[in-house]
Amino acid sequence: MVIGAGIAGIEASLLLSKAGRKVYLVEKCSFVGGTVVKFENVFPNMECATCMLAPRQQDLLQDRNIELLTLAQVAQVGTSPEGFTVQICKRARYVDILACIGCGTCYEPCPVSAPNEFEMGLSQSKAISIPCVGALPNVPVIDKERCVRFAGKDCRACKDACALDAINLDQKDEMLELRVGAIIVATGFDTWNVGQIPRYGYGRHSDIYDALEFERLFASNGPTEGRIVLRSGRTPRSAALVHCVGREEKGYCSAVCCLYLLKFSHYLKSKISDVKINEFYTDFCIPGKSHQRFFERMVKGDINLIRASRLEVDDCDNGLVVRYDTGGGKRNECVVDMVILAPPMQPRRDTPQLAKILGISLDDKGFFVKGVASSVSSSRSGIYVVGCAQGPKSIEESVAEAQAAVADILSSSRSGGL
Amino acid sequence: MSNSVGDETGAVRLANQGGASATLISFLKQGMDVGVFDAVLVPMRVPAGDAFAYVLIRDIALLDDACPLPPIVAVQGGKVVSRLTRLGNGDLKVVAVMRPCELRATIELAKLGQTNLSNITLVSMDCPGALALAKFIKDPEGGTEIFEKAAQDWRDEDLRPICQICHHATMISGDLHLGLLGGDENHLLLISNSEKGDEIVRRLGLTIGEKSSVRVTEVQRVTQKRLAKREEWRSEFESRVKGISNLINSLETCINCHNCMRVCPLCYCRLCYFDSENVRHPADDYIDQAMAKGSLRLPPGTLLFHLGRMTHMSLMCVSCGACEDACPASIPIAQIFSFVADKAQRTFDYVPGRCIDDALPLTVYRENELHEVDEDE
Amino acid sequence: MTKRIGVFICECGTNISDKIDINKVIEEVASLEDVVVAESAKLLCSPEGRISLEKRIKQEALTHLVVAACSPRDHQQTFMSVCKRAGMNPYLLQLVNIREQCAWITEDSARATEKAIRMIRTAISRVRYHVRLEKREIVVNSDVLVVGGGIAGIEISLMLACPDRTVYLVEKSTILGGMARRFERVFPGMDKYSEVLETKIGRVLEHQNIRVLTASDLEQIIGFYGNFEARVRCKIEGEVTRNLNVGAVVLTIGSQPSDPSGIEKYGYGEIDNVLTALEFEEMNRSGQIALCNGSLPTSVAIVHCVGREEKGYCSEVCCMYALKFARYLRERVPYAKVSLLYSEMCIPGKTYQRFCEETLGDNVKLVRSSNVRVWEKDEGKAVSYLDEGGAEQTLIVDMVILAPAIEPTSDARRIAEIAGIPLSIDGFFAEQHEKLGPVATSKEGVFIAGCAQGPKSISDTLVQADAAAGLILSSLVPGRRMEVEAETSQILESFCQGCRSCISVCSYGAITFDERMKVARVNEVICRGCGNCAASCPSGAASIRHSTCDQIYQEITEATR
Repeated sequence: MVIGAGIAGIEASLLLSKAGRKVYLVEKCSFVGGTVVKFENVFPNMECATCMLAPRQQDLLQDRNIELLTLAQVAQVGTSPEGFTVQICKRARYVDILACIGCGTCYEPCPVSAPNEFEMGLSQSKAISIPCVGALPNVPVIDKERCVRFAGKDCRACKDACALDAINLDQKDEMLELRVGAIIVATGFDTWNVGQIPRYGYGRHSDIYDALEFERLFASNGPTEGRIVLRSGRTPRSAALVHCVGREEKGYCSAVCCLYLLKFSHYLKSKISDVKINEFYTDFCIPGKSHQRFFERMVKGDINLIRASRLEVDDCDNGLVVRYDTGGGKRNECVVDMVILAPPMQPRRDTPQLAKILGISLDDKGFFVKGVASSVSSSRSGIYVVGCAQGPKSIEESVAEAQAAVADILSSSRSGGL
Repeated sequence: MSNSVGDETGAVRLANQGGASATLISFLKQGMDVGVFDAVLVPMRVPAGDAFAYVLIRDIALLDDACPLPPIVAVQGGKVVSRLTRLGNGDLKVVAVMRPCELRATIELAKLGQTNLSNITLVSMDCPGALALAKFIKDPEGGTEIFEKAAQDWRDEDLRPICQICHHATMISGDLHLGLLGGDENHLLLISNSEKGDEIVRRLGLTIGEKSSVRVTEVQRVTQKRLAKREEWRSEFESRVKGISNLINSLETCINCHNCMRVCPLCYCRLCYFDSENVRHPADDYIDQAMAKGSLRLPPGTLLFHLGRMTHMSLMCVSCGACEDACPASIPIAQIFSFVADKAQRTFDYVPGRCIDDALPLTVYRENELHEVDEDE
Repeated sequence: MTKRIGVFICECGTNISDKIDINKVIEEVASLEDVVVAESAKLLCSPEGRISLEKRIKQEALTHLVVAACSPRDHQQTFMSVCKRAGMNPYLLQLVNIREQCAWITEDSARATEKAIRMIRTAISRVRYHVRLEKREIVVNSDVLVVGGGIAGIEISLMLACPDRTVYLVEKSTILGGMARRFERVFPGMDKYSEVLETKIGRVLEHQNIRVLTASDLEQIIGFYGNFEARVRCKIEGEVTRNLNVGAVVLTIGSQPSDPSGIEKYGYGEIDNVLTALEFEEMNRSGQIALCNGSLPTSVAIVHCVGREEKGYCSEVCCMYALKFARYLRERVPYAKVSLLYSEMCIPGKTYQRFCEETLGDNVKLVRSSNVRVWEKDEGKAVSYLDEGGAEQTLIVDMVILAPAIEPTSDARRIAEIAGIPLSIDGFFAEQHEKLGPVATSKEGVFIAGCAQGPKSISDTLVQADAAAGLILSSLVPGRRMEVEAETSQILESFCQGCRSCISVCSYGAITFDERMKVARVNEVICRGCGNCAASCPSGAASIRHSTCDQIYQEITEATR
């Protein structure tokens, strides 16, 4: 069983399937691809993220050995002679996956509109919706919390609009019991809401974005179809990129922010050729054989790299003012149209719950602990933790860990096997 | 291996025995005597007197009738050496004497596994050019006279067009080379280009003297003249053959005899692709083509044959002119091929036959190559 | 043989029939010579579609099949299976893509229909010249060759070896353990590594299914995934050469620290008590940290980023091991003052920052610096640098430790050539895909792991070693059968003139030269049908099955009619 259909979960599932194993891929959301599918490009070669993932997603959806369970969560785990018995709570989608052709006709008549979570609240979506254009599986889901029918009203707008009768409003949540030999936890990460650090002004001022919001802003399938605009609709002429937000509070370095902020500077320059960029950092962390070349390519030209501390962001007449200390305790300030903050990567909000269900330990930062049995084992035999669920890391490191977990599973059960 | 005058280290001063041929023959006789060579492969005038052929000589006495620098290029020397050694070298030590272009073809064929050079010594000489085969056949005596006069003064106006634009006439790529240029009534230069050559010189009791500055000047003069002529020719010839319609026009008289391919030393295929079944089609195909285009010249594929042959061997073409001599339809085929070969070889910085160690362009992979032809930079 | 060609056109739901007038196509195509059946179907790839197609093939006793549908990438295999089940050789099929290559990219319906007709006519012309080909199966060789006996090689050997799978572990030196042998402790846990390493090496040496070949060099690899042949030469033992048959190759040759003596400003090799990191590791391992004159250092400067500018990349582990060194010193020479002269502190991940914070203290200081220079003064080693404000400062210390850039090993290039994989611009092995394929290479069956791929920590190295094991374990399953390419090269001896052009362009080592007959011969099990030989052969002796001159000629002639 693989928990989490992000890039690490998909990789592990495909590899296990190739070995002839049956895989249950349990995904909490209605779509696969995790966080990477929210990016437009990935560093350092600025490859299109969706193009990179698409073949993997296609393979996943067509793979006969992988049973994909979306809108599903692990409720309980017990032991069995072969390994584990797992109770899965599978929420109803209210749409028949086989009948639906993804035409989208059902969205329009829906009366409910609310902030779209996938788009980090930058746009609205209906109670019946697909997170974004191109999300897979290409089948919408009804959000029970928003749908007025589930609040008591007799609304059948979506069902009536569907020409293929694919909507089943009476569908029920299911409980499944599955027996598996091993479990891979690939639940990924959340970002910390940096509104908790008042000095950055996040949440108080409308043109301060956090990294994932900015990703969606730039995404060609996002709320603005890739146009970088301020909330007022105006194009920003200047931006501040802020590293290490919340690093001190969290006590660790989130490993990828320096690199993706460079990516962001490329995003900005690609759409707004004369944009002025001020990048505020403490240490530039760019390990790896190709990342320094990436750095040099990105900062060529007019990016102002400023080593700064004690940074704060505030409103001013002309936009946003960033105040900061440079070496020698000098206080400076600059005015920009837009501020993008790199928040810390932290464990998913339901990690403590999941850890308890699985019977595995967390470390003092809240991530799953890495056991000693192997490079990706958890604290419990038969359960592996890979990717950012274990700690902040880059895509290639997550993929390697997923592959390593597969090795662990296939290696210790090489006798017999399917 | 040296290939330019600048690289020549020193030269043996051979006593001039009354001309290049005589001097060379004397040298060969000496070699046979001492046992450095067991047999000589060299052109001889045929008994009827009006043609030349390569003969493998064991009897020293016959050497007197050898003609190392005949007025014409009969069978291309490269083909001859290949025929002799393709299935392996023999026990006899053979010395092959031929023109630089024939020698280059020999070396090129060795790279392709068609010639075995282990028991062969390759000897060439500065080549003033050759007479067109057709011209010579019409009047052998007269032809011989014209050639001898032209060879004396290195005046090539009466010689083959392909020779008039040849700037590799003094190239040294074999083991030994007789330097006509830089010699005088008393001495002709014998230049060694390999360890094999050095060894032969030593065994014959000859000494390698210092480089001849006269030769350097002379070679430069001749080469410059030829290069200038080549440039002139190239710009004029370009307008005659560049573009499909011009090319087709130049090949108008072609009768598809494939002689050019047959005499070409670098066309070594057992069965030429263009003679094989691959280019023969059922009648319906021809009829369909005729229907589609309105008419069809038969046999079709003239242009395809020449372009195909160019694709196959232009990187190895040594511009020896055997093809033009053999063409019964008077097509300047050697010049057409030399024109294309020039550009192709320059693209890869390749001179065929210059040195056995130069790898064939097709067999070498370079990651960064030919970016000039990339569309977006 | 009388040909009975069947042409089936898929409507692909509405994807094709939306743009293309299927009836018109059928009309045009049905009248062509040898075509006995021309019909359409709603969705040929569906279960019903496939069953119906099979039935029609049998009913009409078709000898050849043309299917006009979507991309071969999607359904070539599907329709080949249908042929097989219907008793027709699957190579007598030609698939035409009238969806991606026609319906989906042509605006005008009339033009799309015209193009589809032309494409189908072309396929019919070609399929007439198809011949039966048989796909052979071989059992994959599940054994693995691991080149490099450091921690990555050891890890992957232990992960892979089992009764059904032998692992050959080749190591050029006489002992296993690689670079990690030289470390007393490793960050961030500061565990004593030699015990860990010795245990692992012990398990490797005792393992029934791991053959350790020390003092051995890799010389050649030919073949392909599932079927490689590697030649290994033992440098002692009378220069014995072994030919190993394996299914996969893993390159774990590690890396080496660069030599700072080329960079004058650090004084390495000129000034005494200037050490490289590795020299300091070994000094620490010996138990005694001392200056050349035997006395204990009172102050140490550790210089980060030595050679980073020249190399153009960050070596990832130096900031952390510099902190580790500070801890070594704290343990062995407690009162020594340690200054870490760094430019950017690279401590990513959830544990490293705490390690850093807990290392710093009264005697251990971080000094952000640039333009570091080491020179000799009477009082000791002078380390000059520009501080954060740009002012020049000088530290006087007893000992200077340099953290040099990590570079590929000296035989990385040779091994890459033998294995047939590219190097990245910095000389390390190039991975197949920077994000999704960190341990695979562009050559199927050849994997890389550890520092041979780029500088990294021990824990990252172990993850990569396991990752490569994962890729191998999931596909190179013992007993699994692999279909050998049927579309291979064939060389007609009667036409071969022995020029060996084909041999020089074959990337798989599939062609050998018969010296006696003077002709080239193709090993059809190794051959992958890439076509290089056919392209380079001037006489047409070499050709590729299923892409013969006739087939291509007919296709082009018809397409351009």
